[in-house]
Amino acid sequence: MSEERKKILDMLQQGKITVEEAEKLLAALASPEEAKIEAQRSACRYLRVVVEPGPQSEDRDRVNIRVPMKLIRAGLKWAAFVPKHAQSSINQALHEKGIEMDFTRITQEDIEELVTQLNDLTVEVEGKEKVRIYCE
Amino acid sequence: MIPMLMRLKVSRKPDRHGLLLPVFLVWILLFALMVVLLPFVLVAALFTWASGQGKWLLMTYPLLISVLFHLSGLHVEIEHEEQNILIAFL
Repeated sequence: MSEERKKILDMLQQGKITVEEAEKLLAALASPEEAKIEAQRSACRYLRVVVEPGPQSEDRDRVNIRVPMKLIRAGLKWAAFVPKHAQSSINQALHEKGIEMDFTRITQEDIEELVTQLNDLTVEVEGKEKVRIYCE
Repeated sequence: MIPMLMRLKVSRKPDRHGLLLPVFLVWILLFALMVVLLPFVLVAALFTWASGQGKWLLMTYPLLISVLFHLSGLHVEIEHEEQNILIAFL
């Protein structure tokens, strides 16, 4: 046990701080590794895509897709298999669409960051159909 | 955990339960095939190592296994007026 942790627990024992305050202080002391593990625990497990008919929609089609985030991570690793000449074609196509991005410079860390950021993703589109994309 | 069963439903009625397919049998066959092909993959990787493709050839195995192991929980359901399709890995 580190000195700081011991001090916090001593203060708690002496009644100088409340349990909530001690919890906050201990959380603040947590190492980056522990914080990362905690973030992974709270991360979403599935990406959901739900398409439902809107009020004015004539067709009653529904789509309900649940993709495990681990599968997305595993699948994205296959991006490394995209041949070099195809990568330049992708860059060209992105440029034509007005997206200035160099596909060849995307690293595994970038992909990991992208997937992590999906945790906060919520897309809701209401038109003829109601489309929802979110993490759960 | 690798999925052991796949729920497949192709029906006109939404309340039908569909089939539970034992996909672990497919995995057994696939892993057997991978083991049989392994020497050829290693030879191919050796010959293409200089071009940089050999590394990716070797990576195919762990990546494929990684995808298979994380298929569990995948759920795709499409309801149409006339047809309902459900594919779920359990």
